[in-house]
Amino acid sequence: MAVRRSGGGTDNNMKRVGFLLAAFFVFSFFFALTASAQVPVRMRVIQASNVGQNIDPSLNDVHKELGSLFSFTSYRLLREENLRLSPSQSATITAHPGRFMEVTLVGLQRDAAKLRIRVIREGKDILDTQVRLSPGRTVLIGGPRHGEGVVIYAVSARF
Amino acid sequence: MTNSCSSISTVLEKYFDQEVTDEERFLVEGHLQDCPACRDALKSMEELRTLMRVPVEEAVRKEDFPWVWQKIEREIRLQEKRTWWQSLRSWLDVTPLFRRKVWIPAVATVVVLLFITTQIIFKKTPSYPDVSVVEYVESQSDNVMVYQLEDPKVTVIWLFEGPEEERTTT
Repeated sequence: MAVRRSGGGTDNNMKRVGFLLAAFFVFSFFFALTASAQVPVRMRVIQASNVGQNIDPSLNDVHKELGSLFSFTSYRLLREENLRLSPSQSATITAHPGRFMEVTLVGLQRDAAKLRIRVIREGKDILDTQVRLSPGRTVLIGGPRHGEGVVIYAVSARF
Repeated sequence: MTNSCSSISTVLEKYFDQEVTDEERFLVEGHLQDCPACRDALKSMEELRTLMRVPVEEAVRKEDFPWVWQKIEREIRLQEKRTWWQSLRSWLDVTPLFRRKVWIPAVATVVVLLFITTQIIFKKTPSYPDVSVVEYVESQSDNVMVYQLEDPKVTVIWLFEGPEEERTTT
């Protein structure tokens, strides 16, 4: 039996390591690109009224802002959605049947996400706007009546 | 030892190792018959070889050279015909690398490159104060007010559904 001497073993190993490293980096790069193209968006529906003096504990982070901007005495979180939006992807959050807000990620820059926000009431757009959200900024859309108060939609993007 | 002993001694070792020509063998053997000193020298060589052989053979018996067998087995396996899937698995098998500690510099390289790549991809440019957060706003049914604050960073878009709404907000 003739036994070949494996002189190219080191070369093969180096090729193998090179291939695995390259595959790893290509995968990581595309994963990072995909992940960075998504924007975590937080949407909340808040009922504000002057009935009682209850502040929902889950609204602690915006309570100060709400208190300085509005004269309502009670704030209650009705609904909350946390999701990641890709470009052109839309998400909706409903205040109550027939009334909802639709948020679409229009564009993404390094320091801002462009969002188109529509507030729809019984099939009709009562608001159509486009905002540029930088990290940490919140957009509050309020006014539509809800029960004994009004509904406030809070939209923020974290990236 | 005679004068001819000195000339014989140069080929005596070759004779002992059986590396002499027929002519030299004839010469050495003729000399050995008459020279007890050279016979003693040859005998000493034989004794020395016997003394060395025993421990060397014992050492070889104890050593089984496992890595040689591993290499031979691997080469035999390579000779066998394999399916493409087996070839791919074998090619992607990185266990031999772990045995050789090549993975230490490889992992260090991966970590450094990953760190650099992450820094480049996720690098944030400084954020300038927003000139306008709201690019446009439209409402066909209600009046709209836009109110923008920098501290806290809040933008308010308020819809006035009726005249009484204005009294509820500041």
